[in-house]
Amino acid sequence: MSRFSLSRRGFFALSAGAWLSAFSSARASASRLAAIDWAMLETALAMGIAPVAATELIQYRKIVIDPPVPEGTADLGLRGAPNYEMLRIATPDLILSSNFYEPERAALERIAPVVSAPVYLPGSPTYTLAEDAARTIGAATGMEEEAEKLIARSAETLVHHAERLAPLKDRPVFVISIGDARHFRAFGPDSMIGDALARLGFQNAWHADTRYSAAASVGFEALARVPEARVIIVEPIPPDAGPGLEGNPLWQALPMVREGRVGVIAPVNHFGGLPSAMRFAELMAEAMEAGRG
Amino acid sequence: MAEKSRTRQPFLWGGLFCLAAFLTALQVAGQGAFRFTGLAAGTGTLDRAILLYGTLPRIAAALAAGAALGLCGHLLQRVLRNPLAEPTTLGIAAGAQLAMGAATIYLPAAMAWSREAVALGGGAAAAGLVIALTWRRGIEPVSVLLGGMMITLTASAASAALILANGEYMFSLFIWGGGSLVQQGWGATISITVTLAIVAALSLLLLRPLTILGLDDANAKSLGVALNTTRLLVIGLAVWLATTVTAELGVIGFVGLAAPALARLTGARTAGRLFAGSMLVGALVLWLTDSIVQLFSGAGGERIPTGAATALIGAPLLLWMLPRLSMLARPQMGDASAAYRAPSPRRLIVLLALFATVAILLAMAVGRGPEGWAVAMGELFADLAQWRGPRVVVAAMAGAMLAAAGVILQRLMGNPLASPEVLGVGAGAGVGLTAALFLFAAPGLPLRFGFSLLGAMIALALMLAIAAKARFGRGHLLLAGVAMGALCSAVLTSVIAMGNMQSFELLGWLSGSTNGATWADAAFAAGAAALLVLPLPLARRWLEILPLGDGTASALGLPERRCRVVLVTASALLTAAASLLVGPLSFVGLVAPHVARRIGLPVGLGHLAGAVLIGGGLMVVADWLGRMAAFPYQMPVGLFAALLSGPYLVWLLGRGVPSGPGNAT
Repeated sequence: MSRFSLSRRGFFALSAGAWLSAFSSARASASRLAAIDWAMLETALAMGIAPVAATELIQYRKIVIDPPVPEGTADLGLRGAPNYEMLRIATPDLILSSNFYEPERAALERIAPVVSAPVYLPGSPTYTLAEDAARTIGAATGMEEEAEKLIARSAETLVHHAERLAPLKDRPVFVISIGDARHFRAFGPDSMIGDALARLGFQNAWHADTRYSAAASVGFEALARVPEARVIIVEPIPPDAGPGLEGNPLWQALPMVREGRVGVIAPVNHFGGLPSAMRFAELMAEAMEAGRG
Repeated sequence: MAEKSRTRQPFLWGGLFCLAAFLTALQVAGQGAFRFTGLAAGTGTLDRAILLYGTLPRIAAALAAGAALGLCGHLLQRVLRNPLAEPTTLGIAAGAQLAMGAATIYLPAAMAWSREAVALGGGAAAAGLVIALTWRRGIEPVSVLLGGMMITLTASAASAALILANGEYMFSLFIWGGGSLVQQGWGATISITVTLAIVAALSLLLLRPLTILGLDDANAKSLGVALNTTRLLVIGLAVWLATTVTAELGVIGFVGLAAPALARLTGARTAGRLFAGSMLVGALVLWLTDSIVQLFSGAGGERIPTGAATALIGAPLLLWMLPRLSMLARPQMGDASAAYRAPSPRRLIVLLALFATVAILLAMAVGRGPEGWAVAMGELFADLAQWRGPRVVVAAMAGAMLAAAGVILQRLMGNPLASPEVLGVGAGAGVGLTAALFLFAAPGLPLRFGFSLLGAMIALALMLAIAAKARFGRGHLLLAGVAMGALCSAVLTSVIAMGNMQSFELLGWLSGSTNGATWADAAFAAGAAALLVLPLPLARRWLEILPLGDGTASALGLPERRCRVVLVTASALLTAAASLLVGPLSFVGLVAPHVARRIGLPVGLGHLAGAVLIGGGLMVVADWLGRMAAFPYQMPVGLFAALLSGPYLVWLLGRGVPSGPGNAT
């Protein structure tokens, strides 16, 4: 059984793109990984590791999307309640976790050693933590080189898009996710998306910290505090919110809406690592350039 | 007395009106200030838009929704002749919420088409169920309220399960947790106001004959007024109005309860005055609450959702009001004195032990894997035992402890419906746990347990203090429990709405999960259960005598006060330990003693042993079902236990028969 999944992993590595070319040389030292935390999962995937098991894959394929999880990866169920019996069947030799799942550590350690990195700490730049997380995974799997490559690639991607977007830096940006037809949630400077935004050279129009991601919802009128800003809406948009916004006179009266400074981008992991930062930069650059053109 | 309060009344309401107006003026002025600091050109029109589409409609929405909820409360209270009826206590709001949640996931087109219609469907179903179940008993107030409470808790558990199963538990729960009055246009206000006007006019028309005659039911019936049709029509109108508010703004609790009561307390006596007074007071109460919420809001949004704030204000009000309400017959559900006794309790207990053993074996051996269903034997069984073992032990012990706590509370209060869940003791433990999470960086099990215990003790002591008031019936106590539960839930909702690490943990606890259980947890559970449940047979005599009333106990030479203190402490300990492990929502503490009584173990040690075995077995089955239902996704055991028990209780209430088939005695 393990032979089968190894070969599947090899297959994935071959088909997953040119930047994975270094994978085969490192495969010997790579291990059977399982991931509980999504930031760790996407970081491992971007380093060319195909985990044998990971959490909430149905939702992951819907709202994280990239990097894709190979078909053969076992779904462990909810992030808050990983299925240990499934995890045990997957026989990982290393489990990637984060500080959000510290209460689960004792249970996880009964299956395999746990490597945990903080993906969010109040007061620490989230992007730097994500770089450290990549290094932590690299050190644990003997793939230090891949980790450094990912870090470099991520930095390059951000610099590239920052240059591309330079002419649009005149205005601050709100990056939001829509709750219902009246409420949104902003990505503050301490979220991964907020940190990526800053690294792209933009001023975040939302100044308050939002603690990684899960911040309380706010009414749309809060967008009027920075009327000159642009707004980037991260999908998914709830089914009843779309029509609701069309008939929302305050939303329609917002300068950014009236003057067409609102863009919508495909979903990005709210609880992300370096790959999410790259994905966000790319989607944002596309949306902004389309909006200008 | 009434004269006095009537003379004070203009000052009181005038003062509150001025306060609300002042707070609103502050806000509008604040927005004026931000006009001068506005940077870009064109902010003038933006300010006007915010004033026109944000600030003003929010005041209007608060007034309209407050009046609407006040009217709903008045209408429901009047036609049900039940001073505590209102949309949240009857399960209407929770039904509407569940319908909207289910539609968002399974029928998004319906939500895009009309939130109001979806909400009306859910609310009407909940209200219809409550009324249908209690119809045969003349829609008797306590049964109606209990039915409403159980439907509310079951529907909330189902909503939470839906969100969890779909993995979107973070954001949606925050918005759903409490209603929000944020407005960005006049749509909600207009929709509520129009519904309010129609409902007010129609209900006036319907109630007019009764009002003029000043008749009660019996007289009206003899005069040939089609009473039941009128009542049902008025209930339907109230449901429509309440679900419209829920669809537009979310759940806003207790306004419908507080408004008519306050109107009455401040001098409104006639039906006409109560009708108008309820609307006026409701409007003022919600406006004031929302102004206060906005006053304390920061840059990151409102600290407390308005819907939770009304519960924070309304629940203590309900607690305070209860002793002043003289109504409520005793609930007629499973009375020990009239219960069926099995001819051989011993054999029944052996059978129950067998049931518990089978449940444990099932949970240990049968499971799903990537290749489908499988029965684990031999080596695989031993290997899986290290995973299944601890959670089965934790579930069984938690169930047993909740059942024991339920038995004690039911005996202690002489009330077959008392239980840790119903009395808000579990939720109190949750507030204690919250305190531990905030006071310490990473509290260990002893700290968590200590604080949970503290919370449970305070909640229970408060309940008992309220129960000790003179003329306090069984129904009152249950409603005090509902209020306590609502108060604690409002605290939890506010904390979860803060959206930080503590919220994340609290959310996990609230739904109750045995997933991460280790052998250390199992040892804690087993140790706690052994220490707390095994000595209970020693208190057997107390449990038998205390329900007979104060006089009896003293006459028989029991140190009554000490007995009560010991038993209260024991039940708080049991509840705190159990709800720490499986959350506060399970209902097992209510259901297990009940089932034990129904199958023929109404008294003594047999009742305790039976309840403990049933509670343990039920929780193990719930845990197993929670693991199997959406494999590999796991539903929390607390939610599943509530989903199993809630419908049973609703059904039991509908039968309204004291006991099982051998009900001859």
